[in-house]
Amino acid sequence: MLHWKCRLLWSLYFTLAGFSHSFSSETFEEELTVQTLRDGKVATRFSFSTVLGGATPRNPHNLSIEDDSQHYTLFPLTLGQILREYAVTELHLTLNAGKWNYDRWGYPDEEGVGTGAELWAWIGDGAVATVDERWRDLRNALAGLFCASLGSLDELRTTAPALTFTPGALPDWPLPHAIRHASLPSEHVCTENLTPFLKLLPCKSLSGIASLLNSHRLFDADWHGMGLHVSWLPDDGVQVRLTFQAVTDPLRASSNKRDWSFASIFDRSIERACPVAASSRIVVALPVNAAYSINPQPSSDEQGYATFNVAEQAKPLDVSMQWPANFEHSKSIRLATYSVTPFAESPLSIRRTLKGSTQDHGKLSVFIQNDATTTTEVAYLETMPWIVQFYLHTLTVSIDNIVRDDLLKNISYTPPVPHSRAMMFQAVLVLPARSTVHLTIDITKAFLRYTEHPPDAQRGWDLPPAVLVPLGGLARQRIYTPTLLVDLATPDFSMPYNVIIFTCTLIAFIFGSVFNYLTRKFVVLYKESN
Amino acid sequence: MPHVHPQHTTLRDPSKLFYQTEYNRRLIIASYWVILIAAIPIWWHTTSIQRLSLPTSRVHSQAGKQLRFPVEITLENIRDVSLSAALQQLIHERIGGSGLEVRVRNQDNAHSVESYTVSAHNDIAFASQRHLMYPVRSATLPILADTLSTLLVPLTNSHHVAHYSPRYRLAFTLLNEDAAAGQAITSWDISGAISHHLLPILDSLSALHNFTIESQVQYHAPLAFSPISLLDGAGFGLTPEDLTVFINSAEWTLSSSVSNDPVLHFIAFIPSASRRPLQILNSQGRPSSSYTFLLPQWGGIVVYNPPPELQESTHFPPSALNSVFSTFATQLLTLLGVADVPAGVKTDSSVLTGWQLDALLRRRALENSAEAQETLRSIVKIVDQIENMPVGQDVRGDVQNSLTALDQMYTSASTSLNDTLHQSADALSLASRAFFNPGMLALLYFPAEHKYAVYMPLFASAVIPLIATAAREIRAWRRQRREVQGVQQ
Repeated sequence: MLHWKCRLLWSLYFTLAGFSHSFSSETFEEELTVQTLRDGKVATRFSFSTVLGGATPRNPHNLSIEDDSQHYTLFPLTLGQILREYAVTELHLTLNAGKWNYDRWGYPDEEGVGTGAELWAWIGDGAVATVDERWRDLRNALAGLFCASLGSLDELRTTAPALTFTPGALPDWPLPHAIRHASLPSEHVCTENLTPFLKLLPCKSLSGIASLLNSHRLFDADWHGMGLHVSWLPDDGVQVRLTFQAVTDPLRASSNKRDWSFASIFDRSIERACPVAASSRIVVALPVNAAYSINPQPSSDEQGYATFNVAEQAKPLDVSMQWPANFEHSKSIRLATYSVTPFAESPLSIRRTLKGSTQDHGKLSVFIQNDATTTTEVAYLETMPWIVQFYLHTLTVSIDNIVRDDLLKNISYTPPVPHSRAMMFQAVLVLPARSTVHLTIDITKAFLRYTEHPPDAQRGWDLPPAVLVPLGGLARQRIYTPTLLVDLATPDFSMPYNVIIFTCTLIAFIFGSVFNYLTRKFVVLYKESN
Repeated sequence: MPHVHPQHTTLRDPSKLFYQTEYNRRLIIASYWVILIAAIPIWWHTTSIQRLSLPTSRVHSQAGKQLRFPVEITLENIRDVSLSAALQQLIHERIGGSGLEVRVRNQDNAHSVESYTVSAHNDIAFASQRHLMYPVRSATLPILADTLSTLLVPLTNSHHVAHYSPRYRLAFTLLNEDAAAGQAITSWDISGAISHHLLPILDSLSALHNFTIESQVQYHAPLAFSPISLLDGAGFGLTPEDLTVFINSAEWTLSSSVSNDPVLHFIAFIPSASRRPLQILNSQGRPSSSYTFLLPQWGGIVVYNPPPELQESTHFPPSALNSVFSTFATQLLTLLGVADVPAGVKTDSSVLTGWQLDALLRRRALENSAEAQETLRSIVKIVDQIENMPVGQDVRGDVQNSLTALDQMYTSASTSLNDTLHQSADALSLASRAFFNPGMLALLYFPAEHKYAVYMPLFASAVIPLIATAAREIRAWRRQRREVQGVQQ
């Protein structure tokens, strides 16, 4: 009774104090960027950002007391409740399919492009429930929300790479925040993940830019991925950003025309503007040294970007771009003059392979090529489920076969615990200018219990991508390597019954023989000799 | 050429070997059997499932018990003392079988605080807290008895009332069918409306339930069907059949899923600008005056057609929001099982009277106890029926605690309604927890045939020689004994 009265007073207080964020303090902005890449493909990026004005993440210290009522207009309620329930300060979830090709496509607009599912969160400490308990519940809640197998991101895959996955702003609470990170490279993103994604948007896929999100076309793209990013902006509030990136290939339809339009990429056009979007923009990166034409007339055109304001443009809006010149595949890759807009091209090029044909040992080999003219430091992160274990003493760093141990520093290593904890290897790597650093380490492959094998055991295990983050000079943007596939010793799964039958036969035979000898009555028979 | 022993060599007689003596051989065979028989209890223990005995007789004895609430009504300021006996008789005729023991008496010094009071008033009937003012006369006595009976045991439609839970979530949703079509309601002053219309109710119901409130606005909430167009251009209509499929749960995300508490939904539905006014049709197909309907045990829906002069999307008009939320408040009371006061009795409309609250407490306690008993009987029955079902310590503990809570409930029924309700809720939740204990399913799907299939290849091949030698040895022993007897004779 007293409790309710307190809440009544509090809610009255907040109403009077103008805290009530039920209207006007939530803003929704949507943006679509379209860019033609050097190899003729078209990169599209949707970004839907909702800011809950004036809000702060829930202090985990208050988890034991009743939460305020949650009233949302634009902010997604289902997500807001999850964030409040587990007092998560910062959260990033990405679900991607395909391999982002940094060498051809440069840096992506959204940096989280690791293959499969990746989830990382900064969670404040100090609640009754520990960080790990809330991390587990958060995983399960998000798995339910997005219909993804995020429940498999369990302790076997969870690590805490604080150097590589740095947070945005964190509230100043007495107890520190902790990071939890897990990735599941074998997760496939599909329509069943996009449907709940669209339901988090105020206009769903029925109006505004989101109406272009046509699953039939997006999941047919060369590369596609979605992301959910929750962060706290101290000046604005809690921001939820939903992103969708896709790389489509206009050259698939015609081998030498890079022309694209919404109709050709998404098979849709924007029929209506989203009525609650504070801003709704389409930004098209314009080619630099090439002839082109763009339709319709952009709302503004500056610094190489054509911007369309969806609310002002005539509907249906179908932006298209034509190139009079034919596309010459090999030439365009080589010649920067024919390339389109200056794009944040990655000066780092990485190749990572797993060598060794046996099922118990192998060698991880990573080539990192630095094309820049300056020495660069990168944070290098390897996370592995315990099934692959590093022999740290075999770690070598070399340039042109000359061992350079001085290039590796600040190694932090969390050894794996079989059947229970993942391995994390984190170090700072110095990349001299215009050089290729070769890093090798011996690994051992675990022998699994037969219940630990996945249903498609013969396929092998996907290993998470390594992550590199340039420190200092270059743009501090994460670079993901492609995933690896490791082949572990796999049993014949009809084995258990065979073993039972075989063992039983053997035991019965031994038992029978011993028993027989012990109880047999021996007599000497004299054979009459003739 | 066969091997021939030379005549001069004598072999040791095998029957002289240590283990070839009759006694030792029989000892060896017997020890095998001893080990086998001694291992049976261990095998039995390690393969059997834990089945603790449940307090079956206590569960069955619950069936005979019924919750009885003593109710005391004191007549104040009424000179005719003979009225009390007559009134008690009349009330007993009306609600005798409902578990209430009603006693009516005249005001005297031994006046207990908990009792209900009825005082005479000239012409109006007015209920407040546990007090009723009524024009008490001999002639109005049957009507007074009716009124009191209805106040004590109100008639409610039990199909509408949501299942009891100590905590509910109230999810308020402003649904625009299609905001992009224009003239939508894009925001509402939900905090103000809740604190004005609902908090007093929630506050007075705090003895029964805790509430968590959440709200959201949706801008695109398509219906799964097309409302029919009315002939004379009077807008669109929802037929009674349409109302049953009104909720489009595939497209509308109506509440979050962070907890398992039951959710009561309240939806303000704004039809698309092209489908206004949207009206609810009666069974004859004519528009009814009501724009609200209730989905039993699920929630309430209000269809709000913004005024046609509205040009663009806007905030919810405060006057309209008031009427929407007063409807929500009524719907909430219906869903929670709060009965209206009888017709003709006036109340201070903003708060619930003690009569209503007590009636609800009694009703919920009766429901919970009946359901707890039913659940306990089901547990006992299912454990009896399925012999492979394990019954662990936690299940037995829950069943015992549930029974204890039920026993406490019977004793506290005469002293405190709040305690009775809480004990009945405890009994129900403990019984449900025992019923849904995941440990009870553990070995259900590991049939005996499966075990035999694993054991047979081992045991059959090992036990057959054991039986054969034992049988042979027993036969030999009996023959020897016969021979010895024959020699003695």
